[in-house]
Amino acid sequence: MADRRTAGAVFVAGLALTAAGCIGLARIELNSLHDAFETDARIIHRLLSQRTAQQDAVMAMLALLQPGTDGSAAAPGPRITAVYPQIIEIQQRRENATWANEELQAGENESRRSNRAAIGGVDFDNGRYRMVQSALPASYAVQIDLRAMVPWEEWPMKPDASPVRVTLEHQDQRYIVQPGNETEGLWRFEFRKRLAADSQPFDVVATRSAGWSDLPWIKMLVWTAFVVITLGGLLALLRQRAERRRAEELLRLGQVARLNTLGELAAGMAHELNQPLTAILANTQAAKRLLDDDPPELDTARDAMARSVEQARRASDVVGRMRRVVERPEVGASLQVVNLHDTVNDALYLLEPECKRLGVQPAVSGSSILLKADPVALEQIIHNLLTNALQALAQVPPSERALTIAMQPEDTLGVLTISDSGPGIPVDVLPRIFEPFFTTRDGGLGLGLSLCESLAADMGGTLTATNAAQRGALFRLSLPLAEPA
Amino acid sequence: MSDSLSPLIHLIDDDAAVRDSLALLIGTVGLRVQPWANPQDFIKQFDRAGIGAIVLDVRMPGISGLTVLDKLVAEGVDQPVIMLTGHGTVDMCRRAFKSGAAEFLEKPVDDQALLDALQSAVQQHVKSRARNREDRDARERYAQLSEREREVLGLIVAGLTNKEIGRALDVSPRTVETHRANLFAKLDAESLAQLIRRYAALVEDGA
Repeated sequence: MADRRTAGAVFVAGLALTAAGCIGLARIELNSLHDAFETDARIIHRLLSQRTAQQDAVMAMLALLQPGTDGSAAAPGPRITAVYPQIIEIQQRRENATWANEELQAGENESRRSNRAAIGGVDFDNGRYRMVQSALPASYAVQIDLRAMVPWEEWPMKPDASPVRVTLEHQDQRYIVQPGNETEGLWRFEFRKRLAADSQPFDVVATRSAGWSDLPWIKMLVWTAFVVITLGGLLALLRQRAERRRAEELLRLGQVARLNTLGELAAGMAHELNQPLTAILANTQAAKRLLDDDPPELDTARDAMARSVEQARRASDVVGRMRRVVERPEVGASLQVVNLHDTVNDALYLLEPECKRLGVQPAVSGSSILLKADPVALEQIIHNLLTNALQALAQVPPSERALTIAMQPEDTLGVLTISDSGPGIPVDVLPRIFEPFFTTRDGGLGLGLSLCESLAADMGGTLTATNAAQRGALFRLSLPLAEPA
Repeated sequence: MSDSLSPLIHLIDDDAAVRDSLALLIGTVGLRVQPWANPQDFIKQFDRAGIGAIVLDVRMPGISGLTVLDKLVAEGVDQPVIMLTGHGTVDMCRRAFKSGAAEFLEKPVDDQALLDALQSAVQQHVKSRARNREDRDARERYAQLSEREREVLGLIVAGLTNKEIGRALDVSPRTVETHRANLFAKLDAESLAQLIRRYAALVEDGA
């Protein structure tokens, strides 16, 4: 249950992290898009402003090129249009002459009033406009081609490919400098600024829309993958820890359950055996008294003896029944190929916290050895031996604690030796160490080593105990190899 | 009257083999045994007036031996109770003795231990019954005394001589002597020592 809750929490956290990261990345991307757009728009505005200023200068220069009094007309047209390709036509109004249309006249009036060049008609549909410079005696008008006015060589964007739309607007007329990408996006950037020259009051308008396709999908994908992998790893770690805790819990529970069962068994056995024993004792003692009588009461005594025989059988039945109840499942039947090295590592892994607590660094030597064994029984034996060794080590100072585990094949056997630098086994204890119910520990059941020895024997192996030459106890477990060399 | 018969041992154990064998064993020393398989039947039916003892197994189905013991004590049964148990804990033992068990024995029980316990329980019971009868008799005799005789008895028990008693009661020593003779006769006392031993407690109570 807790596991599922943790997984749920990690999933939700992952979702939140992914979402937050992606939103952040998108915002950064949009900000940088916006910044680039602003920069480009400013550059465009500056470039176009420069051109209009240039045109102002040309107009001012034209005003100075008055025709001579002799009537010879200066003809600046061809030279100027050659230098300034955007100026495609130059008109002149002699004194007393009139402009061809009213727009030019209005421009002239405006130019005279403001004392600078002025607009003399705008035709953005055809990409042109006229400017008028009033002067005396002759005034000038020029027609400007917008397409030629744009300084494409300095343009900051690719005119065909850029998603930015650039237009020049004057009143309700609009000239498209660069079409851009007109699709409506989720986000829209806009830049609008009037050109710097007062004579040509056009608005430079730049717009750009950004949509889903502009988002940094690759980065977002990488981020998502990162979150998934990290949290997945975390979850796996948590799950592994939980699993390990559960395994330890199960082990502990198993031990408690075994102890409880054993306690129950002992109480039941005591009662079940006590009854016939009570009867036997009473019957035989009564019989003895009857035989001692003078004269002896033979019939009654015989009867009492027969009844004690009956009760002895009853006790024996109880013992038989008990044996069947606690009998171990046949270990010999479930033999399979087991890697001794792996099993030792598994057992050490389970005991790692205990080793750490005692400051014991087990020294393991030997390579993988394949045994013919029951994996559960083998693990139980090794776990038991290691636990005993650690308990022995707890009795000596930390600096003297050493645990050595060695594995090697010997003929047809794989041999595991576990030796500790603990206090060793007292000489008087050594011969009895595998006896059931024999223990030197307070509260010990005295069944651990006895069980280990039985399990080893069931698998066709042996378990022996000695004291190491230097110090400490040495246990040696020999089991048949899977493939006799 | 069952008192006239030999002591009867009530043996309560649900296990037939145990019951039979213990009955046989107890029978070898001449004690009569009444075995009971069911503690409820025993509580309902057994002869409370008889001399004897009760042997009670602690572990029985339905009702524990300790509960049976509590019931007997609450009822005022005076037969001593010997408890038998398969595996007695200190706690169980303490509880049994607190409840008034005369003895607490572990199964399997040694014949000598059980028989000794039974003999001493029976003796105890006989003695306590006899003492109770004496008490009852003494009380009945004491009730027959006149007011004046009780006064005289009180002063005798207090250790006064006839002369002193006469002075205290303002009668002649001779009269005291008469009361004294009547008193000895009524109380069936043969000596002054016997009189004081039997009746001192009653005089104190009456005072």
